[in-house]
Amino acid sequence: MLSIQNLFKRFGNLIAINEFSLTVNKGETVVLMGPSGCGKSTTIRTINRLVEPDRGSILLNEHDIMALDIDSLNQVRKRIGFVFQHFNLIGRLTTLENVMLGMVMGGMQREIARDKAIGALTKVGLETHLEHKPGELSGGQQQRVGIARALAYEPELMLWDEPTASLDPILVREVLVVMEELARDRASSMIVVTHELPFALRVADRIVLMDKGQVVEEGKPSQVFVNPISEIGRKYKELIEYQMNTSAQSLAGN
Amino acid sequence: MANRLTKYRKSIVRTFFSNSFNRDVLLLLIISVAIGAAIAGLVSMSANAYFSETISGLVGDYGEYDFLINVREEMKEEGRAQIEKILGQVFPGSKWKEGPTLTGTTSFLVGLPPEYKNKQTYEGLGATFESVPGRTGISIMTEPRVRIKGVPEGARNMLVEQSMQINGVLFAFRDSSSVTVIIKSLDQSTAVNSEIEKLLAQYNIIDVAFPVGSEPENPIRLGEQIADTLRHEKSVGYAESVSVDSNSNDMTRMASAMLELKRFLSAYATRVTLAPAAGTVLIAGDLIVFQGAAAQAPAAGQTPVADNVLVQVTAVNNGVAEGIIIQGNSPELAAHPQGYVVANNMIGHAIGTMSYQNPRKELGDALNETSQLVLQIPEVAQDAQSITTVAGNALTNFDSSLAAVEQTLSGLGRASTTIQAATSGLANLDTTNIQTQLGNSSRALGGLVTTLQVVRVLNPDVANSINELSTTRQGLENLQQTMQALDRVASDAQQARAAIDSIVANGNTAVANLRSFDVTSARQTLNDTSNRLAKLQQFNAPLIATQLQYLGAAVPDLRDDEISSSVKLLDQFIAGQVIPSQRIQILTRSNVTIEFATPIISRVVGHSNLSVYSSVLGVIEPDPRAEVMVILSQVKAILAGMISLIAVILFLVLDHTAIMAVIRRNRMTANKTKAKGWRRIARGVKNIFTAPECLYGMGIGAIMLTVMFILSGGGIPYIPWVGVPVIGAAIGLLVANNAEKISPLEIDEVTAGESLGLSFDEIMREIVIPNGRPGLLQKLNRRKLKFK
Repeated sequence: MLSIQNLFKRFGNLIAINEFSLTVNKGETVVLMGPSGCGKSTTIRTINRLVEPDRGSILLNEHDIMALDIDSLNQVRKRIGFVFQHFNLIGRLTTLENVMLGMVMGGMQREIARDKAIGALTKVGLETHLEHKPGELSGGQQQRVGIARALAYEPELMLWDEPTASLDPILVREVLVVMEELARDRASSMIVVTHELPFALRVADRIVLMDKGQVVEEGKPSQVFVNPISEIGRKYKELIEYQMNTSAQSLAGN
Repeated sequence: MANRLTKYRKSIVRTFFSNSFNRDVLLLLIISVAIGAAIAGLVSMSANAYFSETISGLVGDYGEYDFLINVREEMKEEGRAQIEKILGQVFPGSKWKEGPTLTGTTSFLVGLPPEYKNKQTYEGLGATFESVPGRTGISIMTEPRVRIKGVPEGARNMLVEQSMQINGVLFAFRDSSSVTVIIKSLDQSTAVNSEIEKLLAQYNIIDVAFPVGSEPENPIRLGEQIADTLRHEKSVGYAESVSVDSNSNDMTRMASAMLELKRFLSAYATRVTLAPAAGTVLIAGDLIVFQGAAAQAPAAGQTPVADNVLVQVTAVNNGVAEGIIIQGNSPELAAHPQGYVVANNMIGHAIGTMSYQNPRKELGDALNETSQLVLQIPEVAQDAQSITTVAGNALTNFDSSLAAVEQTLSGLGRASTTIQAATSGLANLDTTNIQTQLGNSSRALGGLVTTLQVVRVLNPDVANSINELSTTRQGLENLQQTMQALDRVASDAQQARAAIDSIVANGNTAVANLRSFDVTSARQTLNDTSNRLAKLQQFNAPLIATQLQYLGAAVPDLRDDEISSSVKLLDQFIAGQVIPSQRIQILTRSNVTIEFATPIISRVVGHSNLSVYSSVLGVIEPDPRAEVMVILSQVKAILAGMISLIAVILFLVLDHTAIMAVIRRNRMTANKTKAKGWRRIARGVKNIFTAPECLYGMGIGAIMLTVMFILSGGGIPYIPWVGVPVIGAAIGLLVANNAEKISPLEIDEVTAGESLGLSFDEIMREIVIPNGRPGLLQKLNRRKLKFK
């Protein structure tokens, strides 16, 4: 479904993505993990060319995204949902309008768009907040609006750029619940950039570990976190073990 | 080529006429400019209209009235009635109104019908309205006009004439001390002004100022003399004395005649000189009394009597006082030269004896003597003519005499040759040796004779021999003497020959010189002289003598006190006339410099105790009304300009900063290599001016401000038109470099729009513009906004 080959991106002297390659199958959920600044967000943003890569190929259902002009690219972007770390909602629009915006501007009839938007918002549990402005919502609610906005178009591919990074821990859960549901639906393929290890363990079909713009390890969660072959993988394994131990000890009253 | 044009056309259509954001920007630009220009124009026109109306309320509309008659407020009613009456009689069809009353003076504004707007009317306004009671003055108001002030009186007519030759001038006239030029229409005003400036620039006024004490006796005459002298200089060509208008002012001419008369009389006044006794100091103005015809000498402590002679000191030079007789006559001075000082009309002490010079008597005597001399001229001429005849004859004999001299010199030369030949043989004789031999022989014979005389005692027979020997000896001595004489003859002959040679040489030189004498020319001169002498003999010498005697008799038979009182009367008259006494003005070409003119003027004046400087022929006086209108128009332009500037700033800040911020964001996110070090600084500096958002800001600013200025008639003092787009661009640049601070961009929202597949136009319309500053663009955007 999605095939990325030899993606390369440089910001001045900094190589953000270095010969990155990835294939995502239809309905598959791929979690990108790695230390901060390793190029995860840049990578995910290059897929719909929010960031223009220097070179490489990106094929979405055999369509070469890199070769598209801006008009065609905009059409492709409508088929790719994107959930931002900072929600990126349009402040002046209501919840419903935020979700409808892409569809209406894409030429969809307003009533149809409205129905789809309400459906998407219902799916994320915000059907009662249709007329609220983003400023009137909590962070978790705002992110769920962002998810609904990405979902409404029924995208083939959903890109998640650390969707819970800006949320306090209590609000994280409501977002992760929605994400897990969507992953289980497998209506869309998903590439998720996150630091949420439990989420990754539970939801990811595949874990891709990145360091310095490169894929250092890739595989199923059980493979990557149990028998890591990379330094990053080993660190994640140690982290999981540490969290599990401390959690167990805490629960045991020690 | 055609394909390229088609491509450009399509590009332009796509950029500005398809339903794109660019079209919105174009529309925004047009509406912004229209609104800005309208506001600027409206405000400036309102201000202009307000001030213009205020002025018009005071002095009428531009060109509505032609002149203003000021009347003292208390005579207003009478003045109004008289003005109305005069206008009805002299200028029927005129309109008038009462203007404001300021500082006790009421103004009446008068507008003349076109047929009366001419030179004669305007120059006669003073006389026409002379009878208006309480009139304090008339001011010309006809518009448009140019007033040239500071024109010397004598140059005004010339300037009037030349001004009237200028295209666009209706007429020109003398306006008190100025020349006023009435222009046909306002649109010709600038051109006429320019032509008048050119006309004024062609001329130059040379001012000659005299310090006190060095004033010319007749400045009018002196001015004409200076002008004549300057005019005859090749490099000047043109010069006129314009100190006064002597051509058109009879009083001036009369005053000039009075000055000449004064000078004439003063020249005949007796000049008394007196060296005061030691300890007495006299100054100009002091009085000295002499006995004159009085029976008694002036007595100290008394007042002078009518028979006394009174002298007023006019100058004191090196202690010697000079004065003129103000009472009595000079002949009365001769008998009693002792003078006494007069102080406070009281006679004081004796101060010395005077001497005097009576020019009248001297002239009379001179004329009488001349008349007698004239009678002798024919006789003298006749004698002179005789002499010329004799001289002519001498000239006639000159050639033959010269030939005779040459012949004589030739004979002398030959004589010299003969003497040479004759004495050359003698010169070869050794006369000295012969004389020695002869002497020796004589002495030998003398010895022999002596011997024989002894022998004769012995033998008387030798007596004969003694006689013969004595005879022989005598013969030898005679021969010796002859030889001595011969020797002297040779010497004298040589001297004679040398003298002859010298005479011949000198004679030849003299003859050669005499040969170079132009006898013909000399004879012609003699003939001419003879002819003139002949004519001189034909003069009517008796008549001339009679006339000279008449002139002698015509020398003013005035007493000195009559002369001084006449001069005093003339002074009183002249003092009342406007005659420059210390300043002469010469109108000449602008190329005549002070350096050039000063020596010539000094030469004519006779001294250099004067100041020469140059000035312009006249100065264009700003028309107060026109100046006010110009200032108003400038205020209007400045107001329009300022409002346009404010409008541009507002439009840029409110409407375009969001656009600039997006352009900047696109530039920043573009894939460009980041520079380091000085390259980074250089790029930063370059971006300040050439970044796309800066170019956009400069372009929009320049276009908006320029078009607003054009539409609203805006202007900025001291800045030419080309500066307007520059200022607009500068404002745009400033705003562009602060666009993100003025209108912060919600980058997350823009990114969201991009991720949703929104086009640039849609992002601008739905995200950027609604989030931007509330402005015209936001208003315009609302009609296309899908989520209002």
